[in-house]
Amino acid sequence: MEIPEKYIKAYKAKYGDKADLEELKKIYERSLITAGEDVGVIAAQSIGEASTQLTLRTKHTAGLTVINTTSGLPRLVEIFDAKKEISTPVMDIFLKLEYAKNKQKIKDFADRIIEIKIGDLVSSYDVSIRKKSIELFFDREVLKAYGFTLRDVSGKLSNLKLNVHAEEDKLVVVDKGADNVKKLIKLRNKLTEITLSGIPGISRAIINQDKEGNSWIKTIGTNLESILQLEEVDISRTVSNDIIEVSKVLGIEAARNLIVEEVNNTLQNVGLTVDLRHLFLIADAMCMDGTVRGIGRYGLSGETESVFARAAFEIPLKHLVEASLYHETDEFKYVANNVMSNQVIPVGTGSVKLVVKEDGTEDKTKTSGKDKE
Amino acid sequence: MTFVFVNGRLVGQTDDGPKLAKALIIDRRAGKLPKGLNVRFREETDSVMVNADSGRLVRALIVVKNGKPMVTKEDINLLEGNHLTWDDLVAAGKIEYLDADEEEDAYVALTEKELTDRHTHLEISPLSVFGTQASLLPFINHSNPHRNVTAVKSVQQGVGIYSNNYLIRMDNDSMIAVDQQVPVVKTKMYENDAFKTHVFGQNIVVAVVSYLGYNMDDAIIINKSSVDRGLFRAMFFRPYKIEETKYIGGQSDYIKVPDKDVIGYRSEDSYKFLDEDGIAYPSAKVESGDVLIGRVSPPRFVSSIDKFRLGVQKQVESSVECRTGESGIVDNVFLTSTADGNKYVSLKVRQERRVEIGDKFGSRSGQKGVVGMLLDEEDMPFTYSGIIPDLIFSPYSLPTRMSMAYLLELLGGKVGALGGRYVDGTPFSGEDEESMRKELNSYGFRENGVETMYNGITGEEMKTKIFVGDMAYIRLKHFVSNKIQWRARGPIQLLTRQPTEGKSKSGGLRLGEMEKDCFVAYGAAMSLKERFDSDKISIPVCSKCGMIAVYNVKKKTGYCQLDGEDAPIKLIEVSASFKILLDELKSVGIYPKVVVGRKV
Repeated sequence: MEIPEKYIKAYKAKYGDKADLEELKKIYERSLITAGEDVGVIAAQSIGEASTQLTLRTKHTAGLTVINTTSGLPRLVEIFDAKKEISTPVMDIFLKLEYAKNKQKIKDFADRIIEIKIGDLVSSYDVSIRKKSIELFFDREVLKAYGFTLRDVSGKLSNLKLNVHAEEDKLVVVDKGADNVKKLIKLRNKLTEITLSGIPGISRAIINQDKEGNSWIKTIGTNLESILQLEEVDISRTVSNDIIEVSKVLGIEAARNLIVEEVNNTLQNVGLTVDLRHLFLIADAMCMDGTVRGIGRYGLSGETESVFARAAFEIPLKHLVEASLYHETDEFKYVANNVMSNQVIPVGTGSVKLVVKEDGTEDKTKTSGKDKE
Repeated sequence: MTFVFVNGRLVGQTDDGPKLAKALIIDRRAGKLPKGLNVRFREETDSVMVNADSGRLVRALIVVKNGKPMVTKEDINLLEGNHLTWDDLVAAGKIEYLDADEEEDAYVALTEKELTDRHTHLEISPLSVFGTQASLLPFINHSNPHRNVTAVKSVQQGVGIYSNNYLIRMDNDSMIAVDQQVPVVKTKMYENDAFKTHVFGQNIVVAVVSYLGYNMDDAIIINKSSVDRGLFRAMFFRPYKIEETKYIGGQSDYIKVPDKDVIGYRSEDSYKFLDEDGIAYPSAKVESGDVLIGRVSPPRFVSSIDKFRLGVQKQVESSVECRTGESGIVDNVFLTSTADGNKYVSLKVRQERRVEIGDKFGSRSGQKGVVGMLLDEEDMPFTYSGIIPDLIFSPYSLPTRMSMAYLLELLGGKVGALGGRYVDGTPFSGEDEESMRKELNSYGFRENGVETMYNGITGEEMKTKIFVGDMAYIRLKHFVSNKIQWRARGPIQLLTRQPTEGKSKSGGLRLGEMEKDCFVAYGAAMSLKERFDSDKISIPVCSKCGMIAVYNVKKKTGYCQLDGEDAPIKLIEVSASFKILLDELKSVGIYPKVVVGRKV
């Protein structure tokens, strides 16, 4: 058995000339997981037992200006289910060193990336079915504070192929094709969602500072793809907490690392420590086919090879009928189906088998009608 | 504009809400409106709520005007001389009932001393802020409120005399304490007549000490010799009921001693307690399995062979037997008839319940615990004067719970027992700690209640002085003998062949999904299989078509229904529930082909 180089180095560093590699080999072999150990169940129990305690301990800090991310059990469920839309998407944007020290530049950057929609500036609407128009009223002071003019706004609307004209402090949008109020309301909702400036998806940006005076930006809402394209951003350190997004932008290995990190952080925030290797195993299992799959009906458990294991988990009839349509075979290789049929599970002591060969010849017992075991 | 609601329904408007509410209250006090009517002006919704419907919780308070209670000294004197009644005071508007809504606007003083001009009402007694149960608890104003809630729950579970006609009642789960005492530390509520006939609890000597480790973690040690003398003895009644039903077609059940040719006849010994009428006689000492009421019923299903049988149809035994794990003495037999005119027999078995390890006890301060050990009198610790406690309580139960009422009752009980009097422990108005300490000192004891104690086994003097006193303890209704259950082998379910569930069916304890995971995580594959072998069966399978075949074990021959006599048949060992799964798959049209490999 090969001993990894780093252990040999550490061993030699500790004992110097007295280092006995044979002894190290014994220690190494002893500390490896034994063959047949069900590491999956142990990993599940290690996290599951801890998270039952964590249910009661989630704290809610309301009213603070700090960004409140989902924590505790809800967050764990979110990660393990591989939710497409997480409840509090957050990004940590790190800037290149020449920007990170300059407070003004950071502030400008933060202001620039915040998404401003037309709806943020509009003070009131007027929808008229008779004129087939939508009137958007703007507050001049709000416009000024955000640094926009009516012309900027109408310019954004120009590519919509609608008749837009400005009147004093309002914009009148006329849609000739709208023949009922429903269409106009739909159009109004569409108009308010149009981005004027900033990066879509980012609603707030808060500047934080570490002990060394380097600042970074925490945002509510994520858009990793657009942010990473900006010149000021330090690509190597900027992260999002949206695992699906990370897997799309940075790849599956990044997503796998993020799963480990997020789970570990969530657990440590409530004062629980789970061995990282359990998390590695689960993250590997979630990412093993190149996409992030949740642990659940539509993820890992819903896609196991064994028909009975799947049927035992959820919606039995659906799985059984599908299995019969596609002529599936259950090899009884897993725990669930072997427990179900009262067979020895292929785990632990059940993973080894003893075959006795009489006088060294091969066992040639064949199945026949008389062969009753 | 203020809206006016009567019983939750909008009836009109008024210009001045507060004025209307005030006027209604004045009219009610003057007797022009019903006493059960309550009014409140709600500022936040700008509405006047008038409620006079049933179902509102109301409580009585003394009306206060200009800082003076309306009920005067004169009234109290008249009340004492029986010249005046409660109803007179209510009619005069001196006492009124407030519901939860009107109470929001009331400013209630707890005692007369703290009355100011702003007060609107005065409590009749500070005790009346508590409910019936809570007002039975002494010194609870010194305890943590959460403990008081627990104490109320404990008192509700106490075994006493729940009804004075319990002998002729057929209640389920009825328990009667054989001997009860009025607690030495009382509250004013105990003066109520109802608590003179429904007394619960016994005054016992309690030592607060950690002894032999048997009273760790809320457990208590009880003096076995006290139990032998009858301490906390209780009776448990188990009713059994049976009906002589008449069926369509002239058939009927019969309550009688079953004849020997009845299907399902037990041994003759089981029927030994039955009289000629088929009912066990009172004072019979029955054990579990003995028949209490004999009954025969017509057969439920007429099988095809029975049709050709001549003569009278055989009847099925359907008697009532004493429950498994229970025994006792037949206490009472009642004969009556149901509304349908069927004969109805109910019978009550009485069982004496001594205190045993595992029974639950509680004090009136939320300190409840389970008996951890019954110690002989000679092994119990004793004081200098030779007093041996009946119960040993663990001091470690006190600091975290902060139930000071426990300590005060213990002290008060000691004072009362030595002085031969009852101690008033009414919350807020009872005797105070200082005077009790002084009185205890005057009897020649240390004023804080501690005494020198000696280890009962070695006779050594204990290094610490032990707090000993007298207090009321209550036996709670959770007896171990009602809950204990075990099984090695036993009944199984007909369909799945798995063990039954539940105590009454002497079921097994389920090794569930998560417990299974522990076996898996440990790698104990063989142990896991053995644990689940309870429904193990051996089924013949045709290795050609993979369907379940037919096999004769004695002749060692078999055949497959599809492939005939020559089919190769193998016996496989699976759980019965898995065979059902295969059967059910067939029933929904799925062909589960079993491929049998080589056994390794």
